[in-house]
Amino acid sequence: MTYIFIILYAITLIYFALSERVKKFIWLLTIQGAILFGIVFFSLNEIEIFDFVFILVETILIKSIVVPRFLNRVRKHNNLKREQEIFVPVFYSIIIVVVFITLSFLLSNSLNNDQIHTKYFTVAFASVLFGIYFIIIHKNIFSHVVGYVIIENGIFLLSLAVGSVMPLMVNMAILLDLVMGVLVLGVFVNRIGDTFDSTETHQLSKLKD
Amino acid sequence: MLAGFIIFSVVLSLCIFLFANPSLNKVLSNIFLVALLALLVFAYLHLGAIDSLYYKFDSLGVLLSLVLGLLSMATFYHSKLYLKRHQFTAKQEAIYYTSLIMLVTAMISAYFAENIAILWVSVEATTLFVSILIFHERSKEALEAAWKYLFVSSVGVALAFIGILFLSIAASGSGITDLSLTHLLENTHQMNPVWLKMAFVLVLTGFSAKMGLFPLHTVAVDAHTVAPPPISAFISTSLMNVGFLGIFRIFTLIAQTEILQWAQNVLLIAGVASVFMSAIQLMRIKHYKRMFAFSSLEHMGIVALGLGIGGLGYYAAVLHIVFHSLAKAGLFYQIGQMYQFFKSYWIKDAAGYFKKNPIGGLSMLLGIISILAIPPSGLFVSEFLTFKAMFLAHHYYIAIFVLLLLTSIIYTFAKNAFHLLYDEDSKTQVIEDVKTNPYETISQFILFGLLFYLGINPPLFFTDLINAAIAVLN
Repeated sequence: MTYIFIILYAITLIYFALSERVKKFIWLLTIQGAILFGIVFFSLNEIEIFDFVFILVETILIKSIVVPRFLNRVRKHNNLKREQEIFVPVFYSIIIVVVFITLSFLLSNSLNNDQIHTKYFTVAFASVLFGIYFIIIHKNIFSHVVGYVIIENGIFLLSLAVGSVMPLMVNMAILLDLVMGVLVLGVFVNRIGDTFDSTETHQLSKLKD
Repeated sequence: MLAGFIIFSVVLSLCIFLFANPSLNKVLSNIFLVALLALLVFAYLHLGAIDSLYYKFDSLGVLLSLVLGLLSMATFYHSKLYLKRHQFTAKQEAIYYTSLIMLVTAMISAYFAENIAILWVSVEATTLFVSILIFHERSKEALEAAWKYLFVSSVGVALAFIGILFLSIAASGSGITDLSLTHLLENTHQMNPVWLKMAFVLVLTGFSAKMGLFPLHTVAVDAHTVAPPPISAFISTSLMNVGFLGIFRIFTLIAQTEILQWAQNVLLIAGVASVFMSAIQLMRIKHYKRMFAFSSLEHMGIVALGLGIGGLGYYAAVLHIVFHSLAKAGLFYQIGQMYQFFKSYWIKDAAGYFKKNPIGGLSMLLGIISILAIPPSGLFVSEFLTFKAMFLAHHYYIAIFVLLLLTSIIYTFAKNAFHLLYDEDSKTQVIEDVKTNPYETISQFILFGLLFYLGINPPLFFTDLINAAIAVLN
């Protein structure tokens, strides 16, 4: 069952590559949050109530509800509908995301380490790479925040691949930091939209020598 | 103790934020400073002790936090002057103090973190609070710099987190079940070198945004340019020290393994690239705050070179980071006062400062002598030790190349500094009725005086702390 969710996660990455509507990005983030819950839930050998509640909060509540809803408010505030300009055409982006997934798959297969759950590593690495790529190709800072969340989701999977060695309190602190990060980024997107009347990156080029 | 301090700071910050009363802000920020000093005394008296489960009062943490304590007092004082001059609303002032207290708390948490994950959380927290402070003036430039700092630092810190995950893969092979530095240090010989290498490169890249080191140095430069001067002083000193500490912690693990030489080569590349970038950028500099920002890049490059050389270089690197903090903070406090005379940070707009404000001019002159590592500046001692270590390690080509770059940096820096202090430029706009506080240069004189004293005659407790900090590397 875990494999099905991992494949679904990989498909969301491809959808990200071929989407141009900002609303769809938010939908895809919601779906990714739910998929992450599925991946963790079906990986648990035994269910302990504290772990289960933490995972539920981290994936469903935060990644699938709070962050997407907040980003949707930011989208509405800035009246964002469609990515007008991206540096790379959609067709090439699809090829590139497929290359990322293939590369990630080959790399995972070549890892010969008992401590790593390579099944998660496959899609985790692809997600981090794609998140960085997503930031590079988009000219809108809102999409940059979406790219950052994709990287964070990849890191979440990477921490599953590694096998959690961090205590619950540390995990909670990490989660709080990340949520705060996205919220503050979102507030700044609104500020930039209000101040410059646009959230395009070319507006942010005053600081230079 | 530390957990109590963090909770206390959060409560103080919340009170400041909720009540938004200027008089209360001052009282509560003074209470915070007293609590901070009490914590630092406690930490020094309990050197080496574990605290609040995830923290440890180790030598490097204590040394850097003592510097932070000193600079916090000066920063709060200069912040008071800065806020008075600019007439912000009570709410804006409250946000400023709230963010400043939380920034200091996050930095303290990072310095004493014994668990790598807690270190990471603290570093990420510093990013959030400093971004709010960079944005304080609400200008377009401030918004741009705050966004760039927040976004690039967040992505950089996310990369560092991947590095920490790779480190945990390396550690799990030797049966480590947490990311405690003590446990990691005890088991480094069993760690997989490939994972360690990847962890080091990612942590170095990620924390380079914080340390202001090549390759992610650009965001720190932009942040220096538009942040309020007391905050610029923090960004280029204590906050850079947080980035240094993050890299240093991983480097101490690497130092116990066979890949030490490889990691040192990586640091040498980052160090030379930083000094090179600084020299190139300074040649076409037009803005005083950016000039000081690129000077920080140069100094962080020298620190990376010290670590990359090893031996005597380790001592020089820690000495350099402490001395740089004293010199650069003093300069940024002074530039805040200088701004009152010119209402501009552009080089073309500011000249003849010595004539306009002799005490401030003297302070600026001492600061420039200090930052250019001209004797009796303590930075001369640390740079001399760095180059001595380079020659002893037979890195002749690197030493000569970096010396040439430093010559170029000194030339461009001195040219602009002389223009600021002595030039009689007719184009300089005249600002009438400048009101400055006669006591506001005292903190700068204390910092520069301390820098000279520590360089010439370092007290035993100071050298003991540095030697204890680098003992794990040798």
